Amino acid sequence: MAIDCLVLGAGQEVGKSCMVVSINGKRIMFDCGMHMGYTDSRRYPDFSLISKTGDFDNALTCVIVTHFHLDHIGALPYFTEVCGYKGPIYMTYPTKALAPLMLEDYRKNMDRRGEDEQFTSDHIAECMKKVIPVNLKQTVQVDKDLQIRAYYAGHVIGAAMFYAKVGDAAMVYTGDYNMTPDRHLGAAQIDRLQLDLLITESTYATTIRDSRYGREREFLKAVHNCVAAGGKVLIPTFALGRAQELCILLEDYWERMNLKVPIYFSAGLTIQANMYYKMLINWTSQKIKETYATHNAFDFKNVRNFDRSLINAPGPCVLFATPGMIVGGFSLKVFMQWAPSENNLVTLPGYCVAGTIGHKLMSGKLTKIDLDKDTQINVRCQIHQLSFSPHTDAKGIMDLVKFLSPKHAILVHGEKPKMATLKERIQSELGIQCYCPANNETVTIPSTHYVKADASGTFIRSCLNPNFKFSTCSSTDKSYLDSNKSKAVSRLSVSDDRATEGILVVEKGKKAKVIHQDEFLHMLGEKKHEIQFAYCFPMHMARTEDLSSTSHMLCSFDKCTLISRLSMILSDELSEGNILDLGEELQVESFRVSVCSSDNCPHRLSSSLQNGSESVFFCCHWSVADEKLAWKIISIMKNSTL
Amino acid sequence: MGMVAELERRQSAMELHIINSIQQSLDNNQPLSFQALASLRSLIINPATPDSTLSSVLDALSRSLQLNRDPVFLHHALKLLSDLASHRPHLSPFALDLLRSDSLFSSASPRLVGESLSVLLSLASIGNDIDAARFVSLCLGPSVSVRQCLLRNAEKLVFRESVLLAVFLGFTRDPYPYVRKEALDGLVKLCKNGDFDDRDVIEGCYCRAVELLRDAENYVRSAAVRAVCEWGRLLVICSEDMNKQDSSDAVFIQLGCMVRDMSVDVRLEAFEALGKIGLVSEDILLQTLSKKVLGINKDKAFKPVEGLDISASAVAGAYIHGLEDEFSEVRMSACYSLRTLTVFSLRFACEALNLMMDMLNDDSTVVRLQALDTIHHMATSNHLKVEKIHIHRFLSALVDSSSVIRSMTRKILKLAKLPQFKLFKLCIDGLLGNLEIYPQDEADVFSALFHIGRNHGKFTVHIIEEVSPEMEPASGGKLSFDSTRVAAFLVLAISAPLSHEKDVSAIPPRIFSYAVTWLGRISYGLSDLMNQEKLLAYLSECSRSSTISLADFKINEALLTVESDAPIPLCSKVDSPVSMPFWKDSGGTSDYHHQEFLSLGKSAAHAEYELGEHSELRKYVNLIFKKVKDFWSLVELGCTTEAFKGIRACKEEVASFTADSPGSSGAVAFTLQYLQVIGMLAKVWGHLRPTKMLNPYGVGKLELLFAKLDRRLREISNRFIGLFKGEELQILDLVLVACLLRLSKMEICCCNAAMKLLLSTVAHVEYLHEGSIELSNFVTEVKKSLHDADSSSSSSTCKPLLFKKLLDSFSLQQFVLYGTPRYIHAELAVPSNDSENPLPFIPGIPASIPLAITLHNVLTESRLWVRISMNEESTQFVFLDLNLIRNEKRSINVVREFTFVAPFYRTPKAISFTVRASLGLECFRENIDQVKVFGGPKCELTYLCPEKEIFLCKSTEC
Repeated sequence: MAIDCLVLGAGQEVGKSCMVVSINGKRIMFDCGMHMGYTDSRRYPDFSLISKTGDFDNALTCVIVTHFHLDHIGALPYFTEVCGYKGPIYMTYPTKALAPLMLEDYRKNMDRRGEDEQFTSDHIAECMKKVIPVNLKQTVQVDKDLQIRAYYAGHVIGAAMFYAKVGDAAMVYTGDYNMTPDRHLGAAQIDRLQLDLLITESTYATTIRDSRYGREREFLKAVHNCVAAGGKVLIPTFALGRAQELCILLEDYWERMNLKVPIYFSAGLTIQANMYYKMLINWTSQKIKETYATHNAFDFKNVRNFDRSLINAPGPCVLFATPGMIVGGFSLKVFMQWAPSENNLVTLPGYCVAGTIGHKLMSGKLTKIDLDKDTQINVRCQIHQLSFSPHTDAKGIMDLVKFLSPKHAILVHGEKPKMATLKERIQSELGIQCYCPANNETVTIPSTHYVKADASGTFIRSCLNPNFKFSTCSSTDKSYLDSNKSKAVSRLSVSDDRATEGILVVEKGKKAKVIHQDEFLHMLGEKKHEIQFAYCFPMHMARTEDLSSTSHMLCSFDKCTLISRLSMILSDELSEGNILDLGEELQVESFRVSVCSSDNCPHRLSSSLQNGSESVFFCCHWSVADEKLAWKIISIMKNSTL
Repeated sequence: MGMVAELERRQSAMELHIINSIQQSLDNNQPLSFQALASLRSLIINPATPDSTLSSVLDALSRSLQLNRDPVFLHHALKLLSDLASHRPHLSPFALDLLRSDSLFSSASPRLVGESLSVLLSLASIGNDIDAARFVSLCLGPSVSVRQCLLRNAEKLVFRESVLLAVFLGFTRDPYPYVRKEALDGLVKLCKNGDFDDRDVIEGCYCRAVELLRDAENYVRSAAVRAVCEWGRLLVICSEDMNKQDSSDAVFIQLGCMVRDMSVDVRLEAFEALGKIGLVSEDILLQTLSKKVLGINKDKAFKPVEGLDISASAVAGAYIHGLEDEFSEVRMSACYSLRTLTVFSLRFACEALNLMMDMLNDDSTVVRLQALDTIHHMATSNHLKVEKIHIHRFLSALVDSSSVIRSMTRKILKLAKLPQFKLFKLCIDGLLGNLEIYPQDEADVFSALFHIGRNHGKFTVHIIEEVSPEMEPASGGKLSFDSTRVAAFLVLAISAPLSHEKDVSAIPPRIFSYAVTWLGRISYGLSDLMNQEKLLAYLSECSRSSTISLADFKINEALLTVESDAPIPLCSKVDSPVSMPFWKDSGGTSDYHHQEFLSLGKSAAHAEYELGEHSELRKYVNLIFKKVKDFWSLVELGCTTEAFKGIRACKEEVASFTADSPGSSGAVAFTLQYLQVIGMLAKVWGHLRPTKMLNPYGVGKLELLFAKLDRRLREISNRFIGLFKGEELQILDLVLVACLLRLSKMEICCCNAAMKLLLSTVAHVEYLHEGSIELSNFVTEVKKSLHDADSSSSSSTCKPLLFKKLLDSFSLQQFVLYGTPRYIHAELAVPSNDSENPLPFIPGIPASIPLAITLHNVLTESRLWVRISMNEESTQFVFLDLNLIRNEKRSINVVREFTFVAPFYRTPKAISFTVRASLGLECFRENIDQVKVFGGPKCELTYLCPEKEIFLCKSTEC
């Protein structure tokens, strides 16, 4: 069995996340995003690759959407309403609640720009009706084989990583996630699962970010300094996510520092979003959840609604206004009023699309901005650039991959060269096979396949009882070799071999069965055979008067003498093993040696029949396990003289 | 009454009925029915059931146990027995015997065995019921719950370590995660209690624990973290010296890998464990503060144990992650474990400080508090280096809405020593801002200002010059004294003369008189330093003249007692020899600590712990001393009884102090002794000093009192070693007072002896007083008058009036214990000797008395005598030469135990007699005048143990 991953979007790029995974006969589409950078057909994933005929219902088992950002959900209404997919769609409760807001906002903007409409409000509403909401860690049985489960991902409210399991094959698709918490969302959290495949985002494949405290400190310092000097602070943000985080940060600071300067929200989306946040407490960070009973963190004490008449009211204030990047709307209106005063401050999000005022402000120290032919804004205000980001950094990705230790990993949602670097790191540092496919490519990876087997009673009983063994595993530490003193390093280790005592038996036409090793012979009706090695060879003798040179006439007394001499030689030369002198025989582990008195010993090599007068033949036997030891002893014997 | 009697009658009838029916069924060899069991239970749990009935219940149960082997029945019987044992403690031995019987405890059913085992354990009566072989075989049985229960309680079952080790280590391989966890916990306990020096075993356990760090279950992983920590520490200890640092680093990194675990518990354990690994090299420590792998650590790999290679990069950013963790517990734990590690490296401390300053922005108050605590800890361990960029963030904590945070911040500020005026001014502004926003903090802000002022005399003078227009009266002649701000500056100003810095130019004297108008509020703030009268005296003194000599002013003495006496350079220069004596010549790594660690080995952590314990104890003890001083003022007023009561209460309090840790016993014993001396002194004083009552005691009584006082004084000055000079001087003060008291009373005075003692004590005082320690007023007076008396006339040394006058100048100083005195004491025993088993002797021939002696803290050079006395007349001394007593270590701290056979020469012609033996320490300063004992000690003895009575009897064999 194999898992096939067809990348429809976000392969070696950031934008329109879409991934179709075939796993044990099930096909799941993860995310259905649109690319914000294009207005042509490249805007949407190429759905025709899923099914030539357009019969998506049969081609896909389900669609899973991780969070409400447009590059993850933007193409969904198009896919369901225009392309006609009618199967189940899964997303978390907050995503389901907030996604229509985002989609509607996008549609309106599209409308305003006069682009041709891809979907309508009705489409959005219809599409949302098909959505099945899921909760965190709730296992959903999509059909009888496919299980999915959502895990907390941080990033934005309601963002989730999805675990999918079909039969024995299991995988996780992370979507976007954040491994460090911020003021309002927690860090991604997942169990240690047995995975064949992990598909992870890699927005910051090589960046390692500093502690968020530094960013917060800079932001607070800038705002505080500004309002302390009587200035006004404009914070243009998107409605969801950053606005709430910054607001909680400011609120907390205001409380602690006893500041009385008003904080305003411009009417509209932000207020509405706060309302949703208040209801979705369960999806926020630990701190907010903990204090929720006494105080809802989204019940901002210092925050008021902004009235347009307040724009030019005297005194300091802080204002959150949409949209971010100052592309237009209310934030632009306020910006025009406040920019000329150097007392005022404008904070900019970490990333501004080229062409926006935000981008212009970021790119350098400007004094004038030409809005259009007639309007020109004098910019004297202070600019503060925020560097908050809800994506995990390279270290976070590595940490997650390390924690989950999947058999394979696929990187998506990142820039190609950086992904390549990260891929190398994952392969070299963690030893996990890693891929970063481009759009419309398919990656095939093998998946686990389990065989069901019966177990015999004896095996089950042996499994119930602990059966651990202690052993001292010896190995020679190489570092000691340098100093010319070889020292065997031994360590106590413990093993429990219950499973290895079982033997898997697959008989023709029968179900596989695991039996205990003791039963095996009985089952086969065979006897136990042991392989023994034997070798007979001559050993040099020092000429001594009391031993007659006629070696084949040795009496038993002489044999004993020889053996005990041999024993002395071995005990001098041999470091390991326990040498047992059994009279006419010598035993080291399974190795046995005795004087061979028969001239035509079958184990004697013909070539060794040379000079019989000065040597005595020894016959050796040993079993496979002690082969090394045996040859060591033989070589000692050959090289010494009795 | 009738009702009750009727009820009782009925009940006993019912009991009888039940018992009878049960007996009957048993006689017929019928097993007990469940109904019968239920009624038995009702009898057992009814507190009114008489014991006789219960005995027959027990009897019935034991019989039925022999009849019935049905597991369900056995289960119920077990329950009944456990109820019985817990309800009727006096019957529990019988119930337990039954429990241990074949049918239950040794039954073949593991479930029953498990249940009976847990009953036995819950009754805490498992003794030798289970031997190692049985324990192991039960563990190896198929029942998982029994296995878990046994492993959890293995410690209580007390086996040889080797058995436990084998079992625990083996079961870390168990497929059941809870068993694995118990096994790991067992290994941790074993490691803490046990004494392992076999490296193979240690490595084995360590490796197994490391393997389990990757277990699928959270609780197994957290147990594994603990195990890795404990066994890792053992691994470090047993490493060869040259590898110690590497092993320690490796264990640290191994634990550092776990800080990114998904489970909160595991992360908590990991940070706790990180803080426990003491010796970590600076590079590794710095790596924990950087997510990026530092160049120096790029290719660094460790191999503490064969096959466990670990790279230094694994620990990258461990603390960064910990400090921005979602859970405040983890953040706190990270702050705390940083605290212990900052001691080892200044560079690490500096970097960590950066993070701590950021933590002051945390949304959780407890985390902020912990961060401040860590900073405070850095300050006290001299590893705090604040820069201007920090100061802003730090001072913002002064306006925090939480009062504990503000107070903790001020606590750190009190210790601060700032290098630049700019920073100093920022701090003062911060405190003023604090005062402005939170007027309720006034007292503590004043205190902080006062401390800062003392620590920065010159800056203070400078700033006062700047703001003096504000402090001057307004044009109308009225002082703007309603302004708290002015008050704050006044507090700052008045601290200047007490500055720790030398040659601070003066503050205009009028400022001090302005401050007087604020006396109440200021003295409230400074209540930890001085009381209102003292402050007033100080202020008026200062306002009178611009050049103040504080030598004759007592405030400096009072201030000595304040804990934060020495300022800590908050911005210590990196190359200052004071703050970094260790790093400079050790090439940047923690060699000093390294060595210390090596030499202390296993006990390093222990010693650290003790130190902490001591300072805590010292604080309490010093509080007691403070109280004593107050009581003495009562004595001076003549309220001896009241003072005495107070001292007795103190004694009780001190006696309740635990003296578990070695060393603290010295401080406790010292305090008790001191209280006794003061008590005696108070008694004598109250008698001799002219008060309302005249001579309540007769001369004889007084003589006795003096003798007691002398003995106490001798004890306090001779039985403690390790006192500081200042402490010794204060004790000598008391000796002088005692002498003077004696001399001032003509009737009892043995003038020569007392005078001699007085002179020798003064000489000793002079000998001790060489350095910086200032003598008290009283001693100076005594010295002076003695000198005068000497020069004027040599004959009339006995001048009671002069001495009485001298006594007037005495006032008890508050005793402050700085060190940890060690208490010299001994135990004396005669093995197996009492009135029934006397030692044999032959009249007229010396008898030998075997004495088992234990000496604590006795120096080898001290002269010890065994005093054996039969009655007042025949007392004999035997010299105990410590040099002859074989003892391995000459360390003063060791407890010496040996047997000494003392001869008793003058055996009387009697059938039997008793002698009293005791051990005395010769004190060199006091010569014996009155009693001359031939061949005995030349000086007075201080007895180290109570007298021991020894019985001797005429030997029958001759």
